[in-house]
Amino acid sequence: MIEQFKEWEKNRHEYAKDWQERTGGKVMGYFCTYVPEEILYAAGILPVRILGSHEPQDVTEPHIFAMFCPFCRDCLAQGLKGRYDYLDGIMIAQSCLHIRQTFWSWEKHVGVEYSKFFIMPHKIQSKDAPEFLRGEMEDLKKEIEELTGKEITEEALDNAIAVYNKNRELMRKLYDLRKEPNPPISGEEAMEITMAQQMVDKAEHNKALEELLAKLPSRTDTLSGTRLMIVGSEDDDLQFLNMVENCGGLFVIDDHCTGSRYFWNQVIPEEDRLMAISKRYIDRPPCPSKDWEERKRIPHVLTLAKEWDVAGAIIMQQKFCDPHELDFVAIKKALEENGVPTLFLEFDVTVPIGQFKIRVEAFLEMIGDEDLF
Amino acid sequence: MTEKQELWRWTESRWTNPDIDWKGKLITSGVDVGSVSSQAVILADGELYAYSNMRTGSNSPDSAMNAINWAMEDTGLTLDDIAYTVGTGYGRVNVPFSQRAITEIACHARGGNHMYGPTVRTILDMGGQDCKAIHCDEKGKVTNFLMNDKCAAGTGRGMEVFADLLGVSINDIGELSLDIDEEPPPVSSTCVVYAKTEATGLLREGWPTNKVLAAYCSAMAHRIMTLLERIGVEKDFAITGGIAKNKGVITRLQKEVGTTILETEYDTQIAGALGAALFAKALKEKGK
Repeated sequence: MIEQFKEWEKNRHEYAKDWQERTGGKVMGYFCTYVPEEILYAAGILPVRILGSHEPQDVTEPHIFAMFCPFCRDCLAQGLKGRYDYLDGIMIAQSCLHIRQTFWSWEKHVGVEYSKFFIMPHKIQSKDAPEFLRGEMEDLKKEIEELTGKEITEEALDNAIAVYNKNRELMRKLYDLRKEPNPPISGEEAMEITMAQQMVDKAEHNKALEELLAKLPSRTDTLSGTRLMIVGSEDDDLQFLNMVENCGGLFVIDDHCTGSRYFWNQVIPEEDRLMAISKRYIDRPPCPSKDWEERKRIPHVLTLAKEWDVAGAIIMQQKFCDPHELDFVAIKKALEENGVPTLFLEFDVTVPIGQFKIRVEAFLEMIGDEDLF
Repeated sequence: MTEKQELWRWTESRWTNPDIDWKGKLITSGVDVGSVSSQAVILADGELYAYSNMRTGSNSPDSAMNAINWAMEDTGLTLDDIAYTVGTGYGRVNVPFSQRAITEIACHARGGNHMYGPTVRTILDMGGQDCKAIHCDEKGKVTNFLMNDKCAAGTGRGMEVFADLLGVSINDIGELSLDIDEEPPPVSSTCVVYAKTEATGLLREGWPTNKVLAAYCSAMAHRIMTLLERIGVEKDFAITGGIAKNKGVITRLQKEVGTTILETEYDTQIAGALGAALFAKALKEKGK
């Protein structure tokens, strides 16, 4: 059912290289989902998110502090090992210190033709944030035009917005199906789709999504299990989701940046295209590094938990992720006060399956309704 | 050259209830294959009939077989007489003759409830390579739990290393660590490797063995306290697992917790297997 997405996710580099060859376009690796992809896409560039490979490695130790998160380490390892050697450029939007270190280190030790540190404001709740971000986007647009030697027209921006909005709309439809008592798609499958979404041309992803959405209602092997939510930082650990879903859990919703936070809201079109895009990134479900002073993430997470009718939530974070570690306390409290039990786990490059399995199984036993007495 | 003593080797044991004739009764069992020790508990109509407690080998199915065979020794029981077995512990899915696997967290809560009574609300399982703080209700159903970090610092395995390092039997560590004039400051880390380095330094400075043991037991109690503080201690409070037998750790933990730690006649190491055997009985009766 999801073979195409899986194929893209597993062969991400082959896909990007092939895309480069067949379109002649540039491929831009990016490190944070606050990068305004629409502007790149409008310039005929394929934005691909740089993700790790979950393999033990020893190439990043000289370049990244020991107390920086495993994700930023794993990403840099991919660069140092030459797995992204086809990239025409790299880009980051200011979010956290750890991934920024990956960016600087990549620039210095991997080397790349073009690199862009995009200033994404931290205080997104300031009334001036949309205007400020719009200005940064204006500069980015000019820079990208210089890079490609081509003007980014309003039509191109409109097309990029339309393709990206379509993708977001289809993803929301897919996630809505997971509200069903027996969803036609597992958490692991949904993650394959969201990961592929960050790696392939959205127009192609849209086509595959439309085909999938047409097929899913007739899927006979629908799923059951204890309905779970996964909340946290970057999370592309398919092995972990697979383990949980083999223990009787079923992920029906998520709040992380390799999932719903990436595609949740659309660009609301307005005459000033850049302003419209700017507002989209300001208004998206926030990363905790930007969720100040009002904590908007908490009510959002609670709404998801309620609408997707979850029995429990697994709160995960990359080890040493300070913004998420800070958010964890408030989110755990809010969920538990609303009758959603939580299990907290710290992720590393590789998942200690045995140790996590006991915690997950005990959690499922605790929230499950089987009478063992 | 004298043969090297295995000082870390704690006493393995087995026991049969002389007052019970198992024939005609519903026999259920629980087998807890832990990282360090394995136990098998056999119940006859829900009453404790026999158990064994031994070291886990390198092979989980073998360890499970050895434990149940030893528990059945001289009882006339065979595996065929056991109506239902629940496996638990780190090797819970590797108990060849079991019908079901249930986590040791649920089993320790259930076993602890049986051993200490229905008033227990907080159970601390101090095992060979991890530590779990469990909240449960009056039936022994888990309501919340918290495990130590992935690192096995401050667990039974660490105690074994210390027995070996300091040349004292693991069974005597608790008592020896209390035989001191003044409580020394704890070693600064419970990480087995770091603590071992630190202890070597203390010995070189001339600290007597029992003082070094006191410093380690104290550090272990302190580490466990930080786990308990995160989840909270609701009364009554009880401890299961191997470390529950170490008075040096328990006495110091008692001081830090500030609440009474319940005592039991049972072997605290069998709590998990006992809980598993009780679940086995319920599952059999429900026809599962």
